[in-house]
Parts: sequence; C-alpha cells; structure tokens
Amino acid sequence: MTPKGVIISDTLWCFSVGGRRQQRFKNRSMGVTPDIQSAFRALADPTRRQILVHLSQRDMTIAQIVDEFPVSRNAVKKHLTALEEGQLIRVESRGRERLNKLEPVGLKFVADWFKYFDHFWDEKLNSLKQVIEQSEKQ
Amino acid sequence: MMSKSTMKKTVFFNASPDVVWKYLTEKDKLALWFHPAESDLVAGQPYALVGADSGDKMCWGEVVSMNEPESMVWTFTIQPLSGAMTKVTWELEESHGGTRLTLTHDGIGEAAQAAALGLLTALDAGWDEHFAQLRTAATSGG
Repeated sequence: MTPKGVIISDTLWCFSVGGRRQQRFKNRSMGVTPDIQSAFRALADPTRRQILVHLSQRDMTIAQIVDEFPVSRNAVKKHLTALEEGQLIRVESRGRERLNKLEPVGLKFVADWFKYFDHFWDEKLNSLKQVIEQSEKQ
Repeated sequence: MMSKSTMKKTVFFNASPDVVWKYLTEKDKLALWFHPAESDLVAGQPYALVGADSGDKMCWGEVVSMNEPESMVWTFTIQPLSGAMTKVTWELEESHGGTRLTLTHDGIGEAAQAAALGLLTALDAGWDEHFAQLRTAATSGG
C-alpha cells in the first residue's frame, strides 16, 4: 500500500518477462524495505498528507504551515515530527528560519530507480552484445 | 543533481555501426534483445515495446530524432513511472573495426519524483473518495 510497495511490485512485474537471469534481480529487489513502517505511519494521517502536498510546491516554515491548517501550532509540530521520522521531510535552518522541505519520498525512490535502470540497461545491453556478436559470427 | 539524474553506459561491439543500428531500430531485431516493437522505429513517431507473451506495453515514448547510423534520441518511460518521461540518447561511433555504443539516460531523478508525487496525490484522491462514500453512507443510513 505504501508508494514504495507499489513501485516494488511494478518492478517485479517489469522483470517478470524473461528467464533465469531476470529471476536473480527479482530476488534482489525484494529485499528493499527500509524504514517503511515509519513512512507508512506518517502517511496514514490526512493532515500530514496535505502538509506534504503543500511542501511539494514550496518549502515552508512552521508558521506558514499553521496558517494553512485549522489546527494548533503544537499539532502541526507533532505532524512535522512524524513526517521527519518517516523521512518524508527534513528541516533546514536558514538564518533564523527553520524551513521544512520535502525529502522527496523521492530521494529514496531516486536511489531505487537508479539501481533499477542500472540493472535494466546492463541486462539489455548484455543481451544486445550477445545477440549481435553471435549473429555476426554466422 | 545532474549526476544523480543521468546514467551513462558504454558497450563495444564487434560489428559495424550499420549493423548495430538495425538492432536498435528494427522491430524484429529489437525483439531479440529488448522487447518486440509494434513497428520499426521512425523519427518523429511514437514507439512502443511490448511484452513478448502478454502484448502489454513495457516501454514507450517517441523517437525524437534519428541520425543513421550515428545517433538517436528517444523519450522513454516504463509502466511503473506513471507516465513520467525520461530521455534516452544512443550514440554509435566506429572504433577499432567495431562500434562503441554509448547510452545516456537523462531525467531519472525528476521522473522518479514526479512518479512519487503522483502516487501521493493519487493516495489523497483515494482517501477523499473513501470519505465521501462514508459520509453518504452515514447520512443516508441516518
């Protein structure tokens, strides 16, 4: 159900075409589930999801977030802590301000996608090399 | 961020650029190492590589440019990227009687973020709908 989970299952689907070699990658990519519990917890709350959507558009201070939501500063603070624990945001000090930034659910995704395409192209280019050099020998 | 978003791979082939080019652009030859294409690739046209058994689209985009047999640029996406596009550039150079092929894949990071945010938004829409149904059910049950 987590975004990460969705990606992983689609990844499997993508690797599911082909033979034994792909199977190896399939097994490897199944081991990727770090911190998913706290990210999941953080995402389970509608206010927190709304905060993330706001932060996807711009970095915001606590005061700016409080302005957007009908909840107390303390409540917002708790939400931000939960989001930080889920590694969905990070806090950055800029002068006297503390800015909340989206830690792109992305950042983890980016790393995963990089690994994904790294394997993907290695596999494909290897097959291409084999196919071309075999057919050219004949 | 640039390096985080760009992937480069270089492979050497014991075959001329003309031969390698065919494997990158012809429907039947693509099927031998990638996925079967719906048709031969044509500059300016969309392309789709489909699952050999399922016939589902696996990878698709548009052939942005072709310069036979030296270079080709695709927009490129796969199912799990939820429509976010990346860019793939193929470059072929004659080298020591064979071909040096360089693949450059740009925009992976951006596409990953777009896909992630798309999922977040979808998640949100999902919940809203769920609550609307709940409200309707609760009210009518009244």
